[in-house]
Amino acid sequence: MKRRVRAALMLIALVAIPLANAQDITVHAYLDARLVAAPDMTSWTRGGVGKTRYGTADDGLRFGGAAVAIAIQATPSWLAFADVQYQTTDRSTLDVIEAYLRYRPVSTTPWRASVKVGAFMPPVSLENDGVGWTSPWTLTPSAINSWVGEELRAIGAQGQLEWRGKRQTLALSGALFKDNDPTGTLLADRGWSVSDLTYGMGSKLRVPDAYARVFGDPDHTRYNPFQEIDGRWGWYANLAWQAPGYGQVQLMRYDNRADPAAHTVYEGSADVFAWHTYFWSLGARTDTGAVTWIAQAMDGGTRIDPVPGLGVETRFRSAFLLVGWNLGAWRPALRVEHFSTGKRVNGSPTGRGESGNAVTAALNWRPRAWLRVTGEVLRVIGDRSELKALGLPTHFAQTQMQLSARLLY
Amino acid sequence: MRWLLGVVIASALLAVRAVSAGEWSVRVQDDAHRPVGDAVATLIPDAPLPAPAPRAPAATKIVDQKDETFVPYVQVLRPGDAVVFRNSDATRHHVYSFSAVKSFEFVLAPGEKSEPLMLDKPGIAAVGCNIHDHMLTYLYVSDAPNIGVSGPDGVIGFPSLPPGRYTLRVWHPQLHPGRAELTQVVQISDNVSAPPLSVTLPLLPDPRTRMDREHMEY
Repeated sequence: MKRRVRAALMLIALVAIPLANAQDITVHAYLDARLVAAPDMTSWTRGGVGKTRYGTADDGLRFGGAAVAIAIQATPSWLAFADVQYQTTDRSTLDVIEAYLRYRPVSTTPWRASVKVGAFMPPVSLENDGVGWTSPWTLTPSAINSWVGEELRAIGAQGQLEWRGKRQTLALSGALFKDNDPTGTLLADRGWSVSDLTYGMGSKLRVPDAYARVFGDPDHTRYNPFQEIDGRWGWYANLAWQAPGYGQVQLMRYDNRADPAAHTVYEGSADVFAWHTYFWSLGARTDTGAVTWIAQAMDGGTRIDPVPGLGVETRFRSAFLLVGWNLGAWRPALRVEHFSTGKRVNGSPTGRGESGNAVTAALNWRPRAWLRVTGEVLRVIGDRSELKALGLPTHFAQTQMQLSARLLY
Repeated sequence: MRWLLGVVIASALLAVRAVSAGEWSVRVQDDAHRPVGDAVATLIPDAPLPAPAPRAPAATKIVDQKDETFVPYVQVLRPGDAVVFRNSDATRHHVYSFSAVKSFEFVLAPGEKSEPLMLDKPGIAAVGCNIHDHMLTYLYVSDAPNIGVSGPDGVIGFPSLPPGRYTLRVWHPQLHPGRAELTQVVQISDNVSAPPLSVTLPLLPDPRTRMDREHMEY
């Protein structure tokens, strides 16, 4: 997979850069530092079961991350795009969040078609559209989009057809992809998180140490979420509707079509499975005066068959409502959400899973175009009965507070 | 009292405003009473004028592209007028339209101008850039004898209106799609010093959201 991403980046460099004038290259970037008051529970990013990005031993001044997004308009129809980030939470990584080529010829009819090839985010989020998969509303995205940033990526091709009417625009997109077989691992082993630590190609995710000790391989708690295990193609389809004065709605079906019995050796560990992951996602956004409303719900499941005749499936659900006020330089935002998982064995519920709620309040201040200051309080509370089998307390109640200064280019 | 007579005979369905001949203006504002620029007002006499103004010769209007923004937002043309798109940016633009009035496309390198594009029939053409989706402008082609566009102060001036009964129409790109544009009957008298007519347009937010450092929207 690394070779494919490297090849994609080289292709972009070879094809796009010589064709583009210097003026047709756009660069955006961010650099984030923050003061953190973390909950006293080891974060999942350190191998714990805490839901937030920061936990025990994370108080103080932290590097929030940095990313550079480069768009090269090689010809009027061809765009090359790459989004590369640097992170030090979990461990220092320089990784590629997205890298793709897009062909979108002009159309002098209401119909417009485009094709995207490379590694890209499925169009799930209505929150995150900034450099490095960041959100303008909060530092921490919803549980749904936290997971998307952690484990979901399409490496393949996406086609899109738009119909642009006077009153509304419809866009239907569909993709065939590979290299996303382990997605779902975290939802099953760790559960949901509410965390802004995005992973790209070149980084490795970590399952909770306690889980690896009991059910997996304690010497190999990491895995690459963007790898191909069974050779099957996955797909997604997304229908988006947008109308001025009303807002937008989008409905997505995702299915990586992984073979739940397939697994592979990864860095000496033989338990990296192809998780058959599928979900529906429904999102909507509208504006009432200076207030923006965003809502999204996701319902799906992920399954492996670790031994013949044993199917272990984790059903997952989450929904959030975000309200943000556009008050010029000030942009307060409030988000409430619910998340849950439930484990089934051979189709029968086991009673094990998790259920939780989170509230996020953020106050954003943009005194300059290049500076964003954000204060955010995040409260996550719930129960994860899965933890009982690991000998851990099942109840979690965490409060994370952050004050971030983000330089924007 | 001729203006009063005009009010009495106005249409029962349409509100009628009586104003004075000569210099007259419409002041356009939004729901929050802020002046609205780029609104187009047309005044069409209900009966043919005894001495209609001579038709102006065909003109060529410019639509510029600066800082990834079309300037102006709304360009008014007469049937037979032409428009030239000029790229004053340091980046390439791909100007196009799929409107019923005219469909066209021009790839414009930095500093380049398009060939004059003649618009021969009335209507409104939305124009975009296929490279920068947030860029938007409108060509308003009309054969109305009296037409004007509001400036940043929201004022549209009509310098020499003969007395008579007119139908006023006010359009703006951010009117709710599908809803009728503002229409009002006005009676122009031969009195002088009539105050401007204020009209309020409920507008949608400006769709020309530029690519901000926090919103990439590729």
